[in-house]
Amino acid sequence: MKILNVESIRKTFNDHAAVDNVSFALEEGQIFGLISPNGAGKTTTIRMIMNVIVPDSGQITVLGQPNNGNATNVIGYLPEERGMYRKMKVGELLLFLTKLKSMKSRGVKQQIDYWLNRLDIADWKQKKIEELSKGMQQKVQFIATILHKPKLLILDEPFGGLDPINANLIKDIIMELKQNGTTIIFSTHVMESAEKLCERIFLINKGKQVLHGALSDIKKQFGRQNVLLEYEGNDGFLKTSSYIKKFDNYGNYVEIQLANLADSQKLLAEAMAAVTIRKFEIKEPSLNDIFIETVNSKNREEADHE
Amino acid sequence: MSKILAIIQREYVSRARTKGFIIGTLIFPLMIVMFLGGVFLFGVIFQPTTKSFVVIDQSTIVYPEFVNILSDTLKGGAPKYRFTEQKVGDEGLDAVMEQCQQQVRDKQIDGYLIIPPDIVESRTVKYSARNVSDFEEHQEIQQALSRIVGNYTLTQQGYPAEDIREALWENRISLVSAQVTAEGEVKKSGESSFALTYLLTYIMFLMMMIYGAMVTRSVIEEKSQRITETIISAVRPWQLMVGKIIGICALGLTQLIIVGIIFLMLLTYASPLLMNIGVTSPDVIEFAEQTHFTAQVFVFMIVFFILGFVLYSTLYAGLGAIVNSEDEGQQNQMPIVFIIIISFLIMFSVAKNPDTPMALWTSLIPLFTPIVMFARVAVSDPMLPSGSIVSIGIMLTFNALLILLIGRIYRVGILMYGKRPSLKEAIKWVRYK
Repeated sequence: MKILNVESIRKTFNDHAAVDNVSFALEEGQIFGLISPNGAGKTTTIRMIMNVIVPDSGQITVLGQPNNGNATNVIGYLPEERGMYRKMKVGELLLFLTKLKSMKSRGVKQQIDYWLNRLDIADWKQKKIEELSKGMQQKVQFIATILHKPKLLILDEPFGGLDPINANLIKDIIMELKQNGTTIIFSTHVMESAEKLCERIFLINKGKQVLHGALSDIKKQFGRQNVLLEYEGNDGFLKTSSYIKKFDNYGNYVEIQLANLADSQKLLAEAMAAVTIRKFEIKEPSLNDIFIETVNSKNREEADHE
Repeated sequence: MSKILAIIQREYVSRARTKGFIIGTLIFPLMIVMFLGGVFLFGVIFQPTTKSFVVIDQSTIVYPEFVNILSDTLKGGAPKYRFTEQKVGDEGLDAVMEQCQQQVRDKQIDGYLIIPPDIVESRTVKYSARNVSDFEEHQEIQQALSRIVGNYTLTQQGYPAEDIREALWENRISLVSAQVTAEGEVKKSGESSFALTYLLTYIMFLMMMIYGAMVTRSVIEEKSQRITETIISAVRPWQLMVGKIIGICALGLTQLIIVGIIFLMLLTYASPLLMNIGVTSPDVIEFAEQTHFTAQVFVFMIVFFILGFVLYSTLYAGLGAIVNSEDEGQQNQMPIVFIIIISFLIMFSVAKNPDTPMALWTSLIPLFTPIVMFARVAVSDPMLPSGSIVSIGIMLTFNALLILLIGRIYRVGILMYGKRPSLKEAIKWVRYK
């Protein structure tokens, strides 16, 4: 059974289509990357999944059921714009949120203690939210999102504002939940983390689906491969080489786009003659490259069209 | 349902245990008691002192009897008035007046009376004093003069002094007011029932404003702290709104009931209490005895408080949803405050004449019902004024429709940040799918 099925949903605000004909379906235990430029329809899509707003057309089902009423009880949502009642104590707030998710009260307190310990904030249970640092507040909010053992987890920038240690702590928990069969929609602007975590990617731009599929397929589809070169010496050959289509010089290294992938060894030979090579790597395009290139070319297409 | 309960509980508990609420709940009734106590205490502490007047009696028939009649003493035994007679000699009335005025200015006397030679015909006496606001003093002097002149006229016509005394002095009529009720009659004065009604509606008015504004603040807190998105992903917006209104209403009700019970007890034991602290003035005791705060009025107060609170705070919730900050909320709450104030102004005239068609119709307009209809109930107690039960039905219907309507604005507004929408835009939200 599909955990989530989104079928050609569409939503317009004042004649502007925020989301236009978007469809995707999620299987159990997948991590699904929902990525988009700012203001391109991501939040609207998530709000429709959460039944906060209703699509003008199309349909959304959660665990095979239309997502009205209590369907959202099986979803955990960590919004990007997140805040909590500042005057409430950590323990109380978590308890309150479990009630909003219609969680059975038995064992809830143990669950809360378990997660507070796991995220290393047990000492703060009796403190008010306003006394916590931003990072700690975010950990509390993360606990609130997963406490009711959701089947579907929607995480919007879960690592934003966290230091590397805490980000790693959260990442481990996300992976553990995935192992236990939780389906995760991971939404972010940070392509590196999407690339690390997601099996499938859905890129939405100006309300429309632009890319959709397994990350490896998308990379293959994208076709091109780059060469990463670290060197010492005179780099004049970069401008004259016939194998190079385009390059980006970052000072310590240069990223080269080949005119023809088969020529990589020829380029290596040419480079060896010109400079001392420290590193020569044939690199798949990063999600970051794919994102920038796809969004830019789409926008250009549309501009030409108009 | 359990979700709404969780919200009600949170709204109630998180506020009920703040220091502000606990102190407020203790201080509010205390303030009322102190206010009422203060009014009575003023009567006890500020006993009037002897007042001295110069009487210029040109008729020669008034003075001896006048002094005789106004010979009451104050609580301490001192005379209430001290009169000195002043004859008009060769210097003329104007000079005497001049002299008296100087004495008033020098604070040797409080005032003077000029009784003209033709008082029997002219029936006018000039009363001049440093302070002419003592209503009771006016009446006493006026009555004494009227009696003296009446007495004189009748004596001149040959009636025996005995008969006159009996006819004029011992036939004083006093008006005892009572209200006809279903069971019989209740002794009650116009002043006391009006004063009580005014006080009770004022308490309701204050609480609706204070707690209504609390609803706005609560909505704005969720918006500005970005809490809405988290909550809305678990409950429907209308559940959040209704839970919020009920939670804060329950908070206000807690305070109202505490104040009401203290009030009930206070007024039941008011007269022995007053006598204990040394208040002997029969007027005050009578006033206290005739001020009835009955269980019926209390029940209606609670019912109309709940109905009114739901009405106004739904409007306040709508306001909170379309503004972005507390400042903006305060700047734009005028229309709601205006409605409450208008109903308070209508209440003044309706409380005096609760049975006119005008009173009935204004009290049936839902926006005014809570205060105006309650005022009619309180004044007419123990009878129920016409339309009182019907108005509850009207308000229930009106509130349900209002919640549906405002709920549609609320669900859009709480997720909107940035520019405040115009009223026209907000109304457009109602039609959003």
